Amino acid sequence: MYASNDKELNLLDKSSLEFAKKELAPGREENDHFPFGPFFGHVVDKAFELDFFHIFLPEDLGGVGHGIRALCIVLNNICREDSSLGGIMFTNAFAQSLMLEAGATEVLKQISDKAGSAGEFLIACPVLSDPARSPMGLSADRNGENYKLSGKIDYVVLGGMAGHALLPAAIPGEDGYSWFLVDLSDPAVIKSDVVFSHGMHACPAVDIELKGVLADLVGSAGEGNLYFRKAASVMQVAAAAMAAGVMKGSLEEALDYCRQRRQGGRMIKDWSELQMLLSNMAVQTEVAQMLVSRACMAIADKEKDWETRAGAAALHIVSSAADVVSDGIQSMGGVGYMKDFGQEKRFRDTAHIQALLGFLPLKKLDFIRKLL
Amino acid sequence: MVSRKQIKTYLQREPKFDDIMCSLRATGRQAKGIIGETKKVVAIARRFNEEFTSSYAYELDRKMHQDPDHLAWEVVKKANEWGFYTMFIPKMFGGKGYAIASLSPFLEEIGSVCASIANLIGVHYLGFVGLATSWNMRLMDMICREVVNGEKTGNPCLMSFAMTEPDAGTDSQNVEFMDTGSLACQAKKVEGGYVVNGTKIFISCGHLSTWHILFAYTDLQKASENMVMLAVKTGTKGFSFGKKEKKMGQKASVASELVFKDCFVPDDMVLLDRSQIAGLSRTPREVTEMILAAIWAASRVGVAAFGTGAARGAFEQALRFASSTEVDGKLLINHEWCQAMLAEMYKNVAVGRIAYNEGNYANGMDGAFKLLNLKPIYYLSKYTPVSVFDRIMKPLCGLSFTTWISRKIAFDFMGDAEVDRTDGWGSLAKFTATDMGIRNARMAMEIMGAAGVRHDERAEKILRDSKLYQIYEGTNQINRVNLFKRLVARACPGSRCFSEDNI
Ligand SMILES: Cc1cc2nc3c(=O)[nH]c(=O)nc-3n(C[C@H](O)[C@H](O)[C@H](O)COP(=O)(O)OP(=O)(O)OC[C@H]3O[C@@H](n4cnc5c(N)ncnc54)[C@H](O)[C@@H]3O)c2cc1C
Repeated sequence: MYASNDKELNLLDKSSLEFAKKELAPGREENDHFPFGPFFGHVVDKAFELDFFHIFLPEDLGGVGHGIRALCIVLNNICREDSSLGGIMFTNAFAQSLMLEAGATEVLKQISDKAGSAGEFLIACPVLSDPARSPMGLSADRNGENYKLSGKIDYVVLGGMAGHALLPAAIPGEDGYSWFLVDLSDPAVIKSDVVFSHGMHACPAVDIELKGVLADLVGSAGEGNLYFRKAASVMQVAAAAMAAGVMKGSLEEALDYCRQRRQGGRMIKDWSELQMLLSNMAVQTEVAQMLVSRACMAIADKEKDWETRAGAAALHIVSSAADVVSDGIQSMGGVGYMKDFGQEKRFRDTAHIQALLGFLPLKKLDFIRKLL
Repeated sequence: MVSRKQIKTYLQREPKFDDIMCSLRATGRQAKGIIGETKKVVAIARRFNEEFTSSYAYELDRKMHQDPDHLAWEVVKKANEWGFYTMFIPKMFGGKGYAIASLSPFLEEIGSVCASIANLIGVHYLGFVGLATSWNMRLMDMICREVVNGEKTGNPCLMSFAMTEPDAGTDSQNVEFMDTGSLACQAKKVEGGYVVNGTKIFISCGHLSTWHILFAYTDLQKASENMVMLAVKTGTKGFSFGKKEKKMGQKASVASELVFKDCFVPDDMVLLDRSQIAGLSRTPREVTEMILAAIWAASRVGVAAFGTGAARGAFEQALRFASSTEVDGKLLINHEWCQAMLAEMYKNVAVGRIAYNEGNYANGMDGAFKLLNLKPIYYLSKYTPVSVFDRIMKPLCGLSFTTWISRKIAFDFMGDAEVDRTDGWGSLAKFTATDMGIRNARMAMEIMGAAGVRHDERAEKILRDSKLYQIYEGTNQINRVNLFKRLVARACPGSRCFSEDNI
């Protein structure tokens, strides 16, 4: 991604890339073995110390307040090497951004002030779904000032490791749905084992059952969909930045390999069929980097129709990422399919990134319906 | 309107009628019995899926995540119990003799539920194809009978196909690259046999196999003229297993490293070498190319069936999900966009199946197994009791004349047009169907959204598994060029494939 001339962003760009290369790349394969191997808690702690989880949070709430552009730069670099940490950052930033949209600044500040570790700071959220689209699994019953949440919800990302979760629930008798903040240490929160999933193994999710768990309403009742859409319109670009980072990582590894591997008596990079494949990868990757930069600019400057532009950019990037990471494996032949290299993980992680914030086809339909 | 001679001339023009109408040519010429056999093997595969694959596949995959070193003997034993390792071995070698063409629908069925389990069965037949294309009837008879015996005794006896080397994947598979490439597995002729040194990698089911159809070369600078095919048994001195690859998918189908260090292979285990083909009118290089072409023509159709299975599995999972999941207040299957996607997926499965069937028809009419498909031979084989076969064929296979005449038919009497057609269709079927596999797996993930990434929802495994189909048996890129070489280039004067001119 392009950090342009902004010194602070350039610094963040450099430091996050260095972090990715030094802290993430070497342990990628081992970290990906979770939940059958240890969790990379020390890396998450380091990211916490470096304020990677604070980037999006405004300064007055204990964050760094760098905004979407900085978040995208860091996500982009992190996901070049290992999107699991990117997924953790994204989930937390999405939860924060939704709470900001809902005006829940006080709670955010409290969490931030109290948190002495990543676990205490992070907020879990079912970021792979758009709650308005599917039947609501949780219901919220009034309990004095608060609510009590009951029911089941699937695939709550970070649910097994975060201190709090931001969850959608329906209030009986109210239209729409609302968001609630739940303390995950409440004994009435029953968590499944980590859901074994396709990629992003070290960005764990759990299914949760709530049995009358005390919860704080976030924002106004019934406005859940509004907050979600507002947060998603910005955060979809963060998801795209993750995809763009994965594409970049895939391209880099493919180029490195093709410069070294010989077949047919020559370096394979010399075969024009392979060059064509690499060219397609490179074009899509560069376009993705530019689109993320441009979308961030449109958002930051509140350009006219920024939502349309950002939406188009995000959809384009997450759709094209699937081909790029597939070709990233293909360019390396058999070894691309093996865990000794990063390509196969990128291939899997991309499917998660595509599913962030809901079904991809529905995101496309939402996009066009706004223009129709 | 057109004379007989003119018809012949017109049909010889590109695209040649025989190349584009494989199924039509087969109609009438192919024995009807094959239809019944195919129905039967499909039914058997469905029952096997119902009783075993469906319930075990995901548990097995999870087990493999947990312990990547696990060897799936339990699956191999189960397949052995069901008679799958002898099912497509010709009756003359003691097998059940189901038509080779029916192997593809069988693999599609099993592969639609689990690629690994399909591989644990199918890869044995890749080994068999390697063995068969040497046309060494004595060894074919001996090894196949060991497989049959393994079924009887409950000790599975599988064959692996060992060609790929650390520095030679594409190099080992195309005659054009063998001399300039980086092949390193050397067979040195010594008194009474060969001494082999070298490493083979990515060998599917290596650790689980008893016999390994090994490709080595006496002269690495001129490998294309000096290929040696050897039958090496697990336990042979100087031969050991190296690492097991850690793969993204198809986890239970182990990909093995085979290490040969001064491994002595006696002359009677030599499937084919230069001395054995000396009497043929084809040059050694031509024989090498024909062997490779015959292997790929058959095995790539098998991979196409795997790819079709993956496409179908993805379709079935997406359909199941769409039929039971509400989005925006109605079932997904009632969203028009979703119906269109599911229809596209259905079409992709059909396209993959059509492609592998055409490949099978080409092989059946013109490929390595065409003799077995001739109606009189087919029916003779079908209705002759195994005991009678044993009495006649066993001694016949032991005669060097039988091997000689078989090679004469396979190499000298086989026309170039037939080689082009079968090998070309092998490539076409392979990259078409396996691209469909990936496409459908991705579409399933899109339709399923958050549920798609969960292991317990089954679609994600299909995506991981199906990616491999685009790589092994030659990457899909190499197969595209091979299609051009076999079915297009001959009509383009001056065109060259797999050569310096393509840079
Ligand atoms: C899990 C697994 C199981 C396997 N099972 C077996 C088995 O049972 N037996 C066996 O013998 N082998 C097996 N293989 C090997 C498989 O067939 C090879 O991996 C495959 O053919 C590609 O070879 P490679 O991996 O060496 O890639 P390479 O040949 O190194 O190719 C790397 C890249 O370069 C491209 N390339 C190479 N040459 C050219 C060219 N001339 N023009 C254009 N592009 C080119 C390729 O398309 C590819 O994109 C298996 C492989 C895997 C991964």
